[in-house]
Amino acid sequence: MLTYLRKRIISSALPLVVVVVGVFALARMTGNPASLYLPLNATQQMRDDFTARNGLDQPLLVQMADYFGGVLRLDFGQSLRTGQDAAAMALRAFPATLQLAATTMVLAIILAVIVGCWAALKPNGIADRISSFISMAAASIPDFWLAIVGIWIFAITLGWVPTSGVTGASAWVLPIATLLLRPFGVLVQIVRGSMVSALSEPYIKLARSRGAGELRVVTHHALRNAAAPALTVAGDLTVGLVNGAVVVETIFGWPGIGKLMIDSILQRDFAVLQAAVLLTAVAIFALNILIDMGYALLDARVRPVTVKA
Amino acid sequence: MTSSSKLPVPVSVLKWPALVAAAALGLAGCSVANSDGAGTGAADTVRVVLGQEPPTLEACESNLTSTGVVVRSNVTEPLIERNPTSGELEPKLATEWKATSDTEWTLKLREGVTFQDGTPFNAEAAAFTIDRAVNSKLGCNVEGYVFGDADLAVKAVDATTLTVTTPEPDPILPLRLSFLEVVPPSTSTTEKVREPIGTGPYKIESWDAGQKITLASWDGYWGDKPAYAKAEYQWRSESSVRAAMITSGEADVAMGLSPDDNIGDLGVDYPNNETVALRMDANEAPLNDIRVRQAINYAIDKEGIVNSLYQGKHQVAAQLVPEGIVGHNSELKGWPFDVEKAKSLVAEAKADGVDTSKQISLVVRSAQFPKITELAQVLQEQLSQAGLNVKLKMLETSQHLTYQVRPFAEDEGAVALMTQHGNQAGDAAFTVDQYMLSNGAQSYFGTPEFDAMIKKADAASGDDRQKAFEEIFAYQNDKVVQFAHISHQTGILGKSKTVNYTPNSSSGDELRVSEMTPAS
Repeated sequence: MLTYLRKRIISSALPLVVVVVGVFALARMTGNPASLYLPLNATQQMRDDFTARNGLDQPLLVQMADYFGGVLRLDFGQSLRTGQDAAAMALRAFPATLQLAATTMVLAIILAVIVGCWAALKPNGIADRISSFISMAAASIPDFWLAIVGIWIFAITLGWVPTSGVTGASAWVLPIATLLLRPFGVLVQIVRGSMVSALSEPYIKLARSRGAGELRVVTHHALRNAAAPALTVAGDLTVGLVNGAVVVETIFGWPGIGKLMIDSILQRDFAVLQAAVLLTAVAIFALNILIDMGYALLDARVRPVTVKA
Repeated sequence: MTSSSKLPVPVSVLKWPALVAAAALGLAGCSVANSDGAGTGAADTVRVVLGQEPPTLEACESNLTSTGVVVRSNVTEPLIERNPTSGELEPKLATEWKATSDTEWTLKLREGVTFQDGTPFNAEAAAFTIDRAVNSKLGCNVEGYVFGDADLAVKAVDATTLTVTTPEPDPILPLRLSFLEVVPPSTSTTEKVREPIGTGPYKIESWDAGQKITLASWDGYWGDKPAYAKAEYQWRSESSVRAAMITSGEADVAMGLSPDDNIGDLGVDYPNNETVALRMDANEAPLNDIRVRQAINYAIDKEGIVNSLYQGKHQVAAQLVPEGIVGHNSELKGWPFDVEKAKSLVAEAKADGVDTSKQISLVVRSAQFPKITELAQVLQEQLSQAGLNVKLKMLETSQHLTYQVRPFAEDEGAVALMTQHGNQAGDAAFTVDQYMLSNGAQSYFGTPEFDAMIKKADAASGDDRQKAFEEIFAYQNDKVVQFAHISHQTGILGKSKTVNYTPNSSSGDELRVSEMTPAS
């Protein structure tokens, strides 16, 4: 398992470098940020001073070499906008997104497994139809609209939860509910689909004929075999969330990495953008490795050969 | 969610997500990472919600709206202050000032004032502030905005006397100085400072990045003690959420609301000194013909726009500055809405060989102010009615700036740029120099005699100054027509019933907490 991990980490390094170079080059193609940071009536002299002060007058390759030199020393540069250390800004924002994403996905998976299994027990039965309707609706509602309606109903009309912010446990409810719906809807469909086919497999009949209870059949025999596709999709959905729940973070004032990235793009705050993208990329590679290890736990066939049975 | 035994799922399936959850929650306790506990609704705290987090609280950047709204007159104070309602300059840390020669001003400073770190305020501190902001390599925003390239010579004559010498005669130096917030000589001259020390009624208590800034009333303040012991600032980018926070009682004051937010009697209107206009590039056909530019003025139904899009809250504009700014010409009336006249002017130009079918790009910044998309669509339609070929270009801020300020984007053909101009300074020079001089940073063109009029107005003072700028605004509408003015805007501030506060034209740039009191 350790050899496997090591290989995965090494093979992830190259894409990381590509990501960083790509972001670096693309960001600079959007033009000089001087006009964003200087007063509108700034003279050419002020523009030149600004460009020189921030090293933007150097050739692109020199800037890139400087940047990579810095990265190796764990110096990711300073924010143009706030003057703070770019890495510190990214590291401060990331945990907030991670918490939101992890909590959301755990709840989405649990709910989707329950609802999906329930629907799969009697395909085309009433439970199936209801869950189908709910999950399709959940997967299709735009989160922006849902967030605003959620605030209007639950924060203003009913007054049960705060409109936004991060103060206290009740502030988690609306952001998580908004974020949860789409992954939940998608996952219900996947779990239901793979459970329906798993439940019609011969080994299920065999298990039933040996007198296994319905619950045991569903959980021990069918679900274990149906879990892999759900895990794949859940993994992708989690990656999407970790990449930044931009809409939710923006509306609810959640201080996460998605909002930080969008702001740094709009503000041409190159150092912060690079640090945030790099951090997110590292997190996503780590997440992918975790997901692959999850397969190994679920299914002996995909376990690397070095693992002792 | 931790008691997995109750769920119809085997533990092995839950292992992975449960692990992540445990890690995430363990990391967090039950609070969000990047946050620091509870917001309070205590009676001695006023809670303000802004549109964005201040990038910094650096005093020499406080002419930026997002910074100034927290810092100015709360944490730091200027030498001289402009009364936003009367437009008069009033004493703050300087008690009197006068021109002692063409280029020299002498200021008397207030005694008995100390900074929040205990150091005394004196002429040395005032001189240091000017030097740091205007003559240094820091690249302060206020330097470019107010002083341009001009360096100032400052001298502390004695503890309470300061002289400031300008390279050229500058009749509005005191007004320019009102943009400088005073900091103690211990402030770094090599780096900008995120959390400044000032002489104001509040000092910065804490800044939880991404979440909240708290100001606390400072006992050593030289003036009256403010009513609120604390001010808490949060920020939400959606104006509907800011409005919701007022309705639900989570905030007391909300900045920058839209007429769409339907906040009812919790919304207070105030003139925000912003003016919307189209700026037309006369270097390109068909806008190079003055009749086409006049036609655009006639084609826009300003009354209709103000009434239907902005619920009658804005005023039809006839110039770039609203009432209350030195130089505003109250004689000028908005161009009448007359489609037939517009059509015939376009037809005349066409008959004289102007290619009126050439495309005009209507360049607009997304989300610059409420309802801007709708406004842009209305303008596109109305200009088409006059017989012009208009293409709408909605751009983000950074791209929009390449059209807005020199050097302008090249090879773009004819451009009509929608501009929102706010004159924070109260004097038309801050508008005219940029927007109307031939080589102004935001001006497409001018004429030699117009430039001469502007230079003359800049050097004038008193009634002459007022009159000179009035003539400039009339001349632009008559002879130059670079602009098609649309409206003077009105801001909406959300305010809970527990707070007494009357916003004014500078509230968006400088929100004075000491002017707020609890409603009993």
